[in-house]
This record gives sequence, C-alpha cells and structure tokens, in this order.
Amino acid sequence: MTQHLPILAIISLFIGAFIVSLIKEKNTTLRNTVVLIVTFASLIFTLMMYKPIIEEGNVLTYWMGNWEPVQNWAIGIGLEVDQLSLFFGLFISLSIVLSAMYSFKYIENETGKDKYYVLFLMMSASVMGFIFTGDLFNMYVMIEIMTFASVALTAFRNNRPEAVEAGFKYIAIGSIGSSLILLATVILYAQFHTLNLAQLAGEMYNNYTVASIFALALMIVGYAVKVFAVPTHFVAPDAYMAAPSSISMLFSGIVNKAAVYGILRIIYVVYQSMNLPTMQFLLIFWGTVTMFVGVTMALAQHDFKRLLAFHSISQIGYVITGIGLTTALGITGGLYHALNHTLFKGLLFLCAGAVFYATGTTDLDKLGGLAKRMPQTAFIFLIGAFSISGIPPFNGFVSKWIIYQATYEAGYAPVTIVALLVSVMTLASFIKVAQSAFFGQLPKEFKNVEEVPLSMRVPMWIMAILCVIGGIVPNIVTKYLVTPAANAVMNASRYVEAMMGKEFASKFYNNLGSAPVIDYKLAGYWQPISWLILFGVLLLAFTLVAVLGGFNPKHFSYADEEDAKYDVFFSGESSEFSHVAGSDLFWGLKYQFRHYFDFMHNIHSGIVNDYALSVVFTAAVILLYVFTFVR
Amino acid sequence: MLLMNYITCILLIVMGLYTIVMKKNLMKIVIGMGLLDYGINLLLISIGFKAGGTAPIFTIGELKSDSFFVDPVPQALTLTSIVIGACVTALALSLVVMINKHYGTLDTDEVRRLKG
Repeated sequence: MTQHLPILAIISLFIGAFIVSLIKEKNTTLRNTVVLIVTFASLIFTLMMYKPIIEEGNVLTYWMGNWEPVQNWAIGIGLEVDQLSLFFGLFISLSIVLSAMYSFKYIENETGKDKYYVLFLMMSASVMGFIFTGDLFNMYVMIEIMTFASVALTAFRNNRPEAVEAGFKYIAIGSIGSSLILLATVILYAQFHTLNLAQLAGEMYNNYTVASIFALALMIVGYAVKVFAVPTHFVAPDAYMAAPSSISMLFSGIVNKAAVYGILRIIYVVYQSMNLPTMQFLLIFWGTVTMFVGVTMALAQHDFKRLLAFHSISQIGYVITGIGLTTALGITGGLYHALNHTLFKGLLFLCAGAVFYATGTTDLDKLGGLAKRMPQTAFIFLIGAFSISGIPPFNGFVSKWIIYQATYEAGYAPVTIVALLVSVMTLASFIKVAQSAFFGQLPKEFKNVEEVPLSMRVPMWIMAILCVIGGIVPNIVTKYLVTPAANAVMNASRYVEAMMGKEFASKFYNNLGSAPVIDYKLAGYWQPISWLILFGVLLLAFTLVAVLGGFNPKHFSYADEEDAKYDVFFSGESSEFSHVAGSDLFWGLKYQFRHYFDFMHNIHSGIVNDYALSVVFTAAVILLYVFTFVR
Repeated sequence: MLLMNYITCILLIVMGLYTIVMKKNLMKIVIGMGLLDYGINLLLISIGFKAGGTAPIFTIGELKSDSFFVDPVPQALTLTSIVIGACVTALALSLVVMINKHYGTLDTDEVRRLKG
C-alpha cells in the first residue's frame, strides 16, 4: 500500500475531475460531495506518507507500469517522493481542500460551475503530479497542464473584459516560460539521453558541459516566469485580480509554490551547482529586487486583490532569497516562509473574496467600515495582515526572522536591511487596507451587508489558526516539517540513491546518506509566549479605548482643492481641509518618490508585447550571466 | 542534413519570439506562440534521429542486439508536445475571440485596461 501512495494522491484528483465533468450541471449536491471526497482523499493519502518519509526518513519511489531501470538506465517514468516533495505536498493538498470548501458558497451564483470544478481539480492534480514526479519531461507536462487550467480559471468570469484580457496575457507569457522549460529539457535529453531526475543528477555530477549550462539558464528563467520573479511578474497582478478569490488563493498558494519547488529541485538536486557563489549571488540579488519592487508597487494600488497580488510577488522574493543562500539556515527560512506564505496569503485572498461576496467590489476607494458589519472577516484579516507583516507572535515573524539572520550570517547585510525595510512597507500597506476597507466610515450602500456564510468562514478560521500556531510553536514546526525538507535539499545523493540504487549512486558520490547538521544556535532567540501576552494586553487596551468611544470617526466636509496636501507645511493652511482618500494614505511618500513610481507605472504598461519582451530580456541577461560566471 | 534541421528550428524559435514581441495584433501573437512551439518540436524530433535507422517498432522476438533504429523517446515526447501546443493555441484563440467581443479590437495597444 505504502508504495502506491504517491500515485493515489495524484490520480484521485484526476479521477475527480473526470467524474465531475460527467455530472455537469444536473446535481449540485452530488458534485460538491465528489469534489470534497477527492480533495480529502488526496490530503489523506499525502498525510499517510508522513510516517514512512519524514518520521522514518525513507524516500518513496514508484515506477509507472513497473518499468524499473535496466542496467542502471531509467526507461520508465518514475515518481519519487522525498522529504522536500512531501513538505510541499502537505500544505498544497491542505490548501486545495480549504479552497474547495470555500468555493461551494463563493461561486454559487456563477454560471459554468461544472467547468470550474473540472479545471479546479485538473490544476490541483497537476501541481500534486509536478511535486511528486521524478521525471523531467513529466515536470514539463504537469506545469503545462497547470498553466492551462490556471489560464482558463483566470478567464472564468468571462463576462468581464478584465478577466479575458488577463487570461490572454497569462497564456502568452506563461507559454513562453513553458517553452523555455521544454527547450531546456530537450537539450538535456540530447546531452545525457535520459529524462530521469536522479539519473541526470548522477550523470551531471561534476560533469557540466556547455549544453547543460545553457539548459540550466533556460530552466531558471522558465521557472522564474512561473514563480513571477520581478522582470517577468507583470501578468501576476492581472491574473490574481481577475480570477475568483478561491483561485487567486491557489495561484499564490500552490501554483507559485510548485515553481519554487521546481527551482529547488533543478538547482539543488539535478545541478547541485549551488555551492558556486555566483549562482548564490544571482538568486539572492533576484530575490531582493523581487521583494522590493513587489512591495513598492503594492503601496500604489487601489484595488484589494491587485494589492495582495503585488504582496505575493514581494513575499516570493523572500523565499527566493532564502533558498538562494545555500546555508542550512537560509534554506530553512526559505522553506518556512514558503509554508507561511501559503497560509497567510491564502487567508488574505479569502478575506478579499469575502469582501467581494458581501459587497460586490474590491475597490478600496469604495469600501469602508466593514468591520461593523463583518466582524469575523475583519478579525481574520487582521491576523493575516499581522502575519504577512512579520509581527510577533504570528508565523510571518518566525520565517522572516530566520531569513534576516541567515542573510546577515552569510555576509549579505545589505539584503537584511532591504528585507527589514520591505517588511515595514508591507505593514504600512496593510494598515492602509485595514483602514480603508474595514475601518473608517461605512458607505451608505453597504449599510445592509452581512457576514459571509459559515462554509466560507470555516476555511478562513482554519488558516488563521494555523498562522497563529506556526508563530507560537516554531520549534515544533521546524523539527517535524521544515528541517527534514531542508535536509533533503542539502543532500541530493540520497535522492539519487533511492531512485537508481546504491550501486549507481556510489559511482558519483563518495559519502552516501550523510546529512549536514543544521545549526540552530541563532534561530529562536525570542519568546513567542510573552509576545503573545503583550499582544493580548495591547489588543485589550485597544478594544477598551474603542468601546469607550476613543476612535469615533469625525465627519468632515472636504474642500475641493487637493493640491495643498503636497505643499511643505510652514504655518497656517492654504486650504482648510485637504482630502486624502482612505486608500491614498501614503500620498506624501508617493509624492516624494513620484519619479520612481511614475517609472514603475510606465513599465506596467498593460501591453502584452512589453511583457513578452521583458521575459526575453531576462532570458538574455541570465544566459549572459551564467555563461560569464558559472563555469 | 541534420544541420539544416537545427538551423531551421533555431530560426523558427527566433521568429516565434520576434512575432510575440514585435507584432501588435493578438492573432499574430498566437501565431508566434505556435511558431515557437513548432521550432521546439522540430528540435525534439531531430535529436532522436540517426541516419540509416529504421522505425523503432519491434516485437520482442525481432529485437536483436544489432538492430539499428532511431530513438523512440523523442517521438513520444514530440507527440505529447504537439498535443499540448494544439490545446494552448485553441485556448488562446478562444480568448482572442472573447477579447474581440469585449473590446472590439485586436490591437495590443488598446487591450490594456489592466495596468499600473
């Protein structure tokens, strides 16, 4: 039974997609039951792998159709699940279940629900297939199914022009990325005549050729397009904004994470080139730029979901920086942040979905005061916002803390400073969202909005509770989830050994199966429990003041003149009131850095040719970089 | 002979990328995506080719150690890749139809409601 678990976790979702397409519109209850059963089945199969893989430290392998290797030569398609795959599999299958639960009510009033669930299950299944496979071409096929389903789901509300436009941009840019991955796969096959990841890793060990370095550069760019790293990120906000929120959650929670997994698997296991300082520098630089550009663009947004999308890009920058460090602490931080990002960003997207469900808009200029009408959503949103901003005692703090320490230890102190700055700006922009969506005045047209139904609140609560747990007991989460995964990343020889046998692996690796010890000396110099108490006291004080009437918003009559707000203030006032809209909280900052913001605004031109050009440009730069420095 | 294949597929890939980057018509961008795909498919089928090899179709009894045939794996991969490429083209074209319905134009300079 145990050896069949990987294929069962994948195939149950594919079978579900098939069954749902047969049911069609006829029977909603039956369809929802099938979706719930298959997603839960996938989660349970994944959980059942926890004991053999993470507790006992085995690596599960499965040859499709029992085509086992002949004379150390892989001839069939293999699935291989090690600690890294399982780590990703666990939180990915959990977010699939939560998103499915949320979808039932959320898309109740849309048409084409049967197609929605077919695509939903196809996307989920392809991501599970992507992280459990041990075959290079299979990775390409799965990521292509994933892109395909994502594009169709982006354009799901196709009565809205934005959705269709975003869908087209996504498929144009996404297919360039997939093509680069396929091209790299072809080149590697031409060189080594195998597609099995383990065999490739063995053959390529200390045996890089010009072709394999060319393929490495193409692979990195291809997966960077899928992960939305900065010069290739332009379609991300469009797609996240246009898709239904339950799907936006999966975009940031599983589609992005699959690409992160792809980068990890290719760079650490297949190429093992990460001990080269030049590759390290490339990823850290890339991650830092990504986190900075993402957060500054988020400051300028006026739409709830578009703002969240830019934050998603920014947080992925942290993950890339963490995994680029190559130290055990850095990889631990990167992986922990990937897990946390799935939780809190999923939570925030679900909150945006709840706001949309209740009010019919996500425009921050129109929203306001929703905390009165939707207290639970507002509370959950605050948990998510505190987590993403890295405020103790929530989970974002732990992973960001590890990343700060790891970057500083590795000698990248400027990166630490940028990371801290980005964290502050993240908090700033979430204060803006909280203030303009949930606090302040309640517009008249939203007087009668109601809290979202229970089946939508349950997934949000589950994620919120997980966010708090991840922040209070970080030592347990690292010990039982993150450290085994980080060990698997650092120790590629075990992956090769499990797939191709000891005899094959010992030809290339001298010390089989020795895991580097992770040094936690610096991690965890903080007391989550006392932070929790402090947080509770502050919250109590805040509530007390609010109850006693300390924060009652005054009603102003705004003057028409707007220019005065940019003037330097000496004395007196040129106009009595300057109108600062709720979503424009940081107008001063935006004005001072207007040249930067204008430049960024012009770059995000909305023209698909420019976006494609930036991908080609990135590919050219990375090729040049890799050929100049990585030899 | 094989060199010709490689030159052609590189030309196709470059032409595909050029079309996607430079052409302002959405239909032409879809054609560019197709060209990029065909270039890679041609590369994929070429790397499995061996001059003088037969088709890789044998029963167990016929297969001898001195049988000389072309590599069957790239052929299977190419078929998969062609199918995926056809799906992508179909989806992209259906999106183009929807864009035309909503915007009344196929010019990329005007299909840019999402920006900034």
